[in-house]
Amino acid sequence: MKKLFILIMIMSWSFGLTGNELVQKMEDRITPNDSKVDMVMTLTNKKGKSRSSSLRSITKDDGAKQIIWFLSPADDKGVSFLKIEHDDKDDEMRMWLPAFKKIRRISAKKRSDSFMGSDMSYEDMSTRQLDEFNFKIMGNERFQDVSCYLLESKPKEHIRTEYSRHITWVDSTLFIPLKEESYDKTGKLLKEKYFTYTVIKKYHILTEVHVTNIQKNHSTTLKFENIELDRGVEDSFFHERYLKRLPK
Amino acid sequence: MSILTNFSPHKYHGEIPFLTYKLKSWALNQALEHSKRTVLLALLVTAFIGSGVRFIFLDDNIMNTLPKDIDSRRIWDEVIEEFKYTDFFFVAFGNPNEKILNPDALAIAWELTEKFENVSQVDEVISISTLNRMDSDDGFLVVGDLMPHKNMTEEEVASLSDYLKNNSNISSRILSKEENYINIIIRPKSDNDFPGLVAAVYDITASYQHQFEFHFGGQPHLTGAMPELIKTETQQLMLLGLFIMAAILLINLRSIPAVGMVLSVIFLSALSMMGFMGWVYHLTQTPRFSFSMVNTSMPIVLLTIANSDGVHIISRFFREARKHKDVKKALTMTMNQLMLPVFLTSLTTTAAFLTMVSSPISTMTGYGATIGFGIMWAWVLSSTYLPAVINLKKWDMNNAAIKQPSILEKLIHRFGRSLLNYPKQVFLTGFLIVAVSSIGIWYINVEVNIINLFKPGHEIRESTLFLDREMAGSMNLILKVEGDLKDPEVLNKMIDIQDYISAFPTVNTTFSIADVIKEMHKSIMDNDPAYETIPDTRGKINNLFTMYSMSGDPDDFEALVDYEYETGLITAMMQSVSTKEIVIMADQIDVYIEEMGTEVLTTETSGMMMFLKDFTTLIVQSSINSILLSIVIILFITWIFFRHWKFGLLSVIPLTSAVILNFGLMGWFGIDLSHFTALLTSIIIGVGVDFAIHYISEFIYYSKNGIGADEISRQVVDDVGYPILLDVFSNMGFGALIASSLIPLVHMGGLMIFAMISTSLGTLTILASLMEINKHNLIKLGNG
Repeated sequence: MKKLFILIMIMSWSFGLTGNELVQKMEDRITPNDSKVDMVMTLTNKKGKSRSSSLRSITKDDGAKQIIWFLSPADDKGVSFLKIEHDDKDDEMRMWLPAFKKIRRISAKKRSDSFMGSDMSYEDMSTRQLDEFNFKIMGNERFQDVSCYLLESKPKEHIRTEYSRHITWVDSTLFIPLKEESYDKTGKLLKEKYFTYTVIKKYHILTEVHVTNIQKNHSTTLKFENIELDRGVEDSFFHERYLKRLPK
Repeated sequence: MSILTNFSPHKYHGEIPFLTYKLKSWALNQALEHSKRTVLLALLVTAFIGSGVRFIFLDDNIMNTLPKDIDSRRIWDEVIEEFKYTDFFFVAFGNPNEKILNPDALAIAWELTEKFENVSQVDEVISISTLNRMDSDDGFLVVGDLMPHKNMTEEEVASLSDYLKNNSNISSRILSKEENYINIIIRPKSDNDFPGLVAAVYDITASYQHQFEFHFGGQPHLTGAMPELIKTETQQLMLLGLFIMAAILLINLRSIPAVGMVLSVIFLSALSMMGFMGWVYHLTQTPRFSFSMVNTSMPIVLLTIANSDGVHIISRFFREARKHKDVKKALTMTMNQLMLPVFLTSLTTTAAFLTMVSSPISTMTGYGATIGFGIMWAWVLSSTYLPAVINLKKWDMNNAAIKQPSILEKLIHRFGRSLLNYPKQVFLTGFLIVAVSSIGIWYINVEVNIINLFKPGHEIRESTLFLDREMAGSMNLILKVEGDLKDPEVLNKMIDIQDYISAFPTVNTTFSIADVIKEMHKSIMDNDPAYETIPDTRGKINNLFTMYSMSGDPDDFEALVDYEYETGLITAMMQSVSTKEIVIMADQIDVYIEEMGTEVLTTETSGMMMFLKDFTTLIVQSSINSILLSIVIILFITWIFFRHWKFGLLSVIPLTSAVILNFGLMGWFGIDLSHFTALLTSIIIGVGVDFAIHYISEFIYYSKNGIGADEISRQVVDDVGYPILLDVFSNMGFGALIASSLIPLVHMGGLMIFAMISTSLGTLTILASLMEINKHNLIKLGNG
């Protein structure tokens, strides 16, 4: 009887959660101040041919500041990328092209543009703001033996987006996304995304992201290794001059 | 007692095997003694076979029937597999003397592009609204849309116009030289459904045609539009042909029932043929028995053959009725004399068509077998149904149709007399004509130019010429390049090759990944035109690609270079040229590449035209093989039935002469031998084999009946000449096909007339005079 009561309480609490509250809970999750990771990005085309690059990334403020250096393949080694997001103005993006010995500004005019030739767009990598989307919990579903909320995110009319909606499987206890389906403007499934995490210190940290563009039959796998957190990276580190230097 | 017992097989056709004789007697007995039952049974069986018509599978896509194991097709398929489909469907719209770069027209280009993109057969649409522009923004390469949105402002249009003016490699593909037409380039997913693609594009553009002129072009358009055009024109012209046929038959036979009887045999044969095709497809599901564009000629060919059987029987019946004044007797005499030759002509023609099973076009197997069935069914109907129907009719023996010879009969009588007075001269003249024309064979040109399939003034031809003249062209040549496509040396060589190709007067523009790299290089160097070059290091090229990936779509280059940057394509967009011209061009490119040194890259020419060139050669070879094999088979069959090789040899003389004349005259008059003409020639050979068999059969018949050497040839010409001429004249109706706007149909009509005239004249001149010269020897052989 007591168990039943607890179950009813949990259910009523669960169903009582609104979409916006769930998103808020996801945002409120504790995250490291900064991180340094090595990434292996593998792109696979519809014929099954693959291309891999390895990169090193240092981020701060939940990814608002980021520098990425290409480690391999040899042709790309030394190319680096700096991003600083601003709330009140356009994001700053710069790229170091070692063969030309030039730093060039990147203008990300389209949020739907692919990020580094992958299946992820700049939009996929951005946080969905509460005032830009209508969030709704569609129900509960188990995914990989984990109880999840099914969160629907529909962009508001004024938002420039390539999608009509997303459905996200959100771990109902950790409030982290495990899977997401994104639909194009015609309502057809465009991308499927899977997220894998590990716990380092007290954080749930991504170790793998797998994105498949269903319509193009092209996929991207991003694996995160050598993860170091809270190293005390200064804001001043996110500057052009560091683009030319590969950190150890 | 049956009237048949009065006739002995030895008396009439001692050479007929006994089984055939029994079969003939049985059939004749059924037709004469049980006429109603025979007619009913023939109609019922025909109706059953004909009911298979509902199973006919229409396959409008000619690409499905083409062989896939030719080397050039294999290379082309590999290119398509690695990249995308290489041949484009072009849709140009605009108005003469009106600038097209304005907000309204651009919005329509946007709309059309979106609609084309939603067509299931479309892979991608390359248009002003889908192409990217590369700009230098503070030194960074910014990849954006040429048209960022549908409704462009005047300022945006001006910026777009400036960009296109400075980037001719893009504008040449999507804009006409005078900037009054926009070109939308559709890349099909595959060649599986060009007719469906054409129909969808026509449907989409229909509602804009009041505002703009539209021009359509490209191989997918031609291949997709052709079957429907051929179908429509064939139906109309065939009806006209049938009407003319009926009129000529009526003028000569002077009896509506007689004409009706011939036409009913034709109709029933055609119905059973089509039904047979449907049944076989239904039972086997083999695409070889699908009805494709190639099969369009099938009904026409069968009509001429079935007409021949009916005309011979009816005209002979009238002649015999005139002599004997008795229907049964006349009919028995007619069938006794004609059953064997009609059977033999059917057998030889069927055998000739069955040689098509070796054709590289898969549906030709079904063609040969189906038409073979139709011919044999026409023989069954001519041997049973037709005599039964004749027997059922109450003929007035005093009617002019029976009593008096027709115009053609009188004509052939006079012609025969004068001809046989000078047999040596006639033979020599005929021989010389054939010999002289045979020299023309050496001048035959095997060539296909797609636009020459349409007469001047035809909408498709004019649209193609417009695209060739004003836009990037209507076809393309693909050069597959293998090497390290990030190596500056390789990329510079690609540029050299492109420059060389662009110098051909028929080439309007070329593009490859090297062009994109040049453009990126210029952009990163602050739009300085001096840097519109391939960078000097591999590292720089790689940096450019990495930078592009920051704002461009990774799929942007998938039609230009493979995933590993090891294989790329140079696409030359060009005017419509012939297969011969494309081969010359490809050979010159090969020589140029060899001379420039090929250590760092290898190339291979590919595309629809390279395939078409190999395919045409293959079809020509296969058709010639089929014709030669047909002649050999006919020789053997007639040898067996006429029981002497000399008769076998004689029966193929008119046919062989016609073949030599056909190809020889094509050479002399500069008519290109294309896959269409080669196929049609082999088809029409089957039509022209009959006359000689009738002639020889009649000669042997008279030999056995004691007609002397002085009279035999005249008698044979009198008896056989008339139905031959009537057959030829009535089939002239199909000459109506010459009025078609489609050259393949014109060729079909022309070849039909040519085959009829050449084989009939060959029979009545060369064969008749040769047999007249050797009549003593041949009469002995005929008696023996």
